[in-house]
Amino acid sequence: MSTRYRKERAWYALFTLPLLIIFTTVVIIPFLIGIGYSFVSWDGIPANPKVFVGFDNYVALFKDERFLSSAWHTIEFTVLSLLLVNVLGLVFSLLVTQKLRGSNVARTMFFMPNLIGGLILGYIWQFVFTDAFKTVGERTGLDAVFFNWLIHPQSALYATVIVFAWQMAGYTMIIYIAGLQSIPDELNEAAKVDGAGRWHRLTKIVFPLLMPSFTICLFLTLSNAFKMFDVNLSLTKGGPNNATELFAMNIYNEIFGYGHYGLGQAKAIVFFLLVAAVTLTQVIITKRREVQL
Amino acid sequence: MVGLLAACGSNSDNNASPSASGSAPATSGASASASPSGTSSAAPEKLKKISLFQSKVEIADALEALAKTYQKETGNEVEVWGSAGDAYATQLQAKLTAGEGPTIFSVATGEEAEKFKSYFADLSNEPYVKNIAPNMALQDGDKIVGVPYGVEGFGLVYNKSLVDPKDVTDLDSFTKTLEKFKAEGKNGLSLSQEAYFLIGHIINTPFALQADPQDFIAKLNKGEVKMADTKEFQEFAKFMEAIRANTPNPMEVKYDTQMGDFATGKTAMVHQGNWSYGLLKDYGDLGFDIGMMPFPLAGNNKIAVGVASNWVINAKADPDEIKAANAFLNWLFTSETGKKAIVDDFKFIPAMTNIEADNLDPLSQVVYEATKSGQTIPWAMNYFPQGIIVNDLAPAAQQFFLDKNMTGEQFLKNLDAAWAKGAQ
Repeated sequence: MSTRYRKERAWYALFTLPLLIIFTTVVIIPFLIGIGYSFVSWDGIPANPKVFVGFDNYVALFKDERFLSSAWHTIEFTVLSLLLVNVLGLVFSLLVTQKLRGSNVARTMFFMPNLIGGLILGYIWQFVFTDAFKTVGERTGLDAVFFNWLIHPQSALYATVIVFAWQMAGYTMIIYIAGLQSIPDELNEAAKVDGAGRWHRLTKIVFPLLMPSFTICLFLTLSNAFKMFDVNLSLTKGGPNNATELFAMNIYNEIFGYGHYGLGQAKAIVFFLLVAAVTLTQVIITKRREVQL
Repeated sequence: MVGLLAACGSNSDNNASPSASGSAPATSGASASASPSGTSSAAPEKLKKISLFQSKVEIADALEALAKTYQKETGNEVEVWGSAGDAYATQLQAKLTAGEGPTIFSVATGEEAEKFKSYFADLSNEPYVKNIAPNMALQDGDKIVGVPYGVEGFGLVYNKSLVDPKDVTDLDSFTKTLEKFKAEGKNGLSLSQEAYFLIGHIINTPFALQADPQDFIAKLNKGEVKMADTKEFQEFAKFMEAIRANTPNPMEVKYDTQMGDFATGKTAMVHQGNWSYGLLKDYGDLGFDIGMMPFPLAGNNKIAVGVASNWVINAKADPDEIKAANAFLNWLFTSETGKKAIVDDFKFIPAMTNIEADNLDPLSQVVYEATKSGQTIPWAMNYFPQGIIVNDLAPAAQQFFLDKNMTGEQFLKNLDAAWAKGAQ
C-alpha cells in the first residue's frame, strides 16, 4: 500500500515539478524581486546605487497626477471595451450558430483579427483612423464623424476601444459558441412548444445556461483590457497629450522614460493588486449566477 | 517586453569566413600583440563576432551594407541590430540591463551619455581617437570614451524657389511669410508629430541663445528661472502661435509626409536638419534648389550645430569582443572604405581631421561651412534632463497644437510645469 502511494507521489512530482520550477523562476521570483524594487530609489542601471526609501514610492504615486489620470483612462477604457467586446462577441456567436449559409466563413472572418498581433493591428488602424477617416470625411462631407480620430483626446480613447474590440470580439465569440453548443436542443424545443418567443428563449433559457461562458469572457476581457499595452503603443503611444496613456504604458514610461525604476515598480504592484481585486470580484459575482442543469 | 521589438543577437556562432581573399592560411596566435586593436588591418587573425546597435534610422541600410563590406575585406563579422528611432534609449537600457547589450552602441552627447557612462570602455589609447576634431570627442573626465558620428545641424530647410531668406529674419517677417503662403493656399512651414521634430529641436533655439545655456538649464531644473519669464521664450511662444495659426496641424503630419510635401513643393519650409536630405534624395530631381537658414528667433542668424551621437564600446562585453569592436572602429575611421562610407553613404559631416568632406549634399554643405566659420549655436537640448522631450515637452506641445484657444503664455506655463515634472 505504502509503496503504491509513494509511487503515485513520484509520478505526481515528475509531472508537476518541471512546471513548478518554470512558474517559480519566471513568475514568483521576479514578482518577489519586483516587490523589493518598489521600496528603493533606482534608475534601472545595474551599476548605479539602489537607495532604500521605504514606502516613499507608494506615497509618491498617489500624488502623481499623470498616474491618476491614466488610472481614470484605464477604467474608462476597460468599461467601454468590456461592453463592446462582449456584446459583439455574443451577437457574432448567435449569428454564426444560426443555420445560415456562410456561417462557417463568417466564423473564421470574425476570429481572424485575433490572429494578428496587437502591434501590427495598431499600426493598421493608425492608418485607418488618420488617413482613411480623413479622406472619407473630405470626400463625403461627413467630417463631423470622419476626422483624424487619433489627434482628439476623447476620440483617440474610443479609437483604442474599437481596435481592442476588433481584436477581442472574435475570441469571446469562440467561447460563446462553445457555450451555446453545449445547451441541449430539447430545452429550446420544449420552450418553443410551450409558446416561448425568440426573445423569451434567449433571456430565460440561453442566457442563464450561458453564464459559465460569461464568467470566462468577462474575466478575459477585464484582465486583458486592464493590461493592454501593445495596441496602446502602436496606435497612439499614449498621445495626444497623454490622453490615452493606460496603466501599463504609464508604468513603462515611468521606468524607461524617466528612469524611476522603484516608483514604476511600486505602480506595478498597485496595478497588480487592483487587477486582482477587480477580476476576482467579477469572477465571484458571475460564478454565483451560474445555474446547473 | 521591449527586447522583443528588435532582433536579438546571438554572438555564439563564430563560423569561419568563406573568403579570406588570397591571404595565407590563418595563423592564429602568431602575433599576440599587446595592443588591443590590430593596427594592421591585413592581419589574418579572426576576431570575435560583435554586435552593433545605434539610434539613427537614416543610416541603417548603409551600415548593414558596410558591415558586409567589412566582412569581405577583413573576414570579421559585425551584426547590425535594427534601429529603433524614438525608442532607442529605452531599448538600449533594456538590453544592457538584461546583460544582452550590444558590443558597440551609440549615445547622444549630454544627459544620455551621462546616464550610460558606467558602460563606456576607455578608448584613450586607441589609434583612431587621435583624429577626432578638437573638443568633439566624448569624454568621461580625462578619458576619451566615444567617437562622434559627425556633426549635424538643423534650422529652417527651405525651398529656394519659394522663399528668400531675406524675408525670414525676425518674428514679423516670419509671420508675414507664413501668412502670405497661407493666402496662396500653400504650407508656409511644417513641423511633424515626432517629439523631436514637434518641439525638441525648435525649442533648442531659445535655450541656445541664453548667455550660458548649460547654466540656464541647471537653474531651470532647480526652479530658479522660468521660461515664462525669459525674453527669448516669450518670443518663441509668439513664433509657435504664428506657426499654429498659419500652418497645418503638425499632429497630423509624420516625418515622411513632412519631407514628402516639401519635396513636391507643397511646403515651403520645414524645421529640419541636414539628415533629412536622406529622404529628399529618394525623390530624385526636386526641380528646385534647397537651403538651410537659421530659425530667426530674436534675430538669430546661426544654425544649430552639434554632435548628435557617439560610438561607444560596451565595457561590460567580453574582452575579445571589445578588441574586435576596436578593430572595427579603427577600420571605420582610418581605412579608405570606412572613411568613404562615413561621408558618402552615411552622409555624415565628418568630425575627424583625417576625413575630407567634398561633394556634400546641399544641406550638409551649409552645416559644414557654418562649422568651419564658427557661425553656429550649440545643441543645448543635449543637456536637457533625460527623456524630457519625449515624456514631458511633447505632450505639452501636443496640447498647444490641439487647443486653438491656448495662448502662448499659457503654453510657456505648461512647458514650465512639464519641465518641473521632468527634472525631478
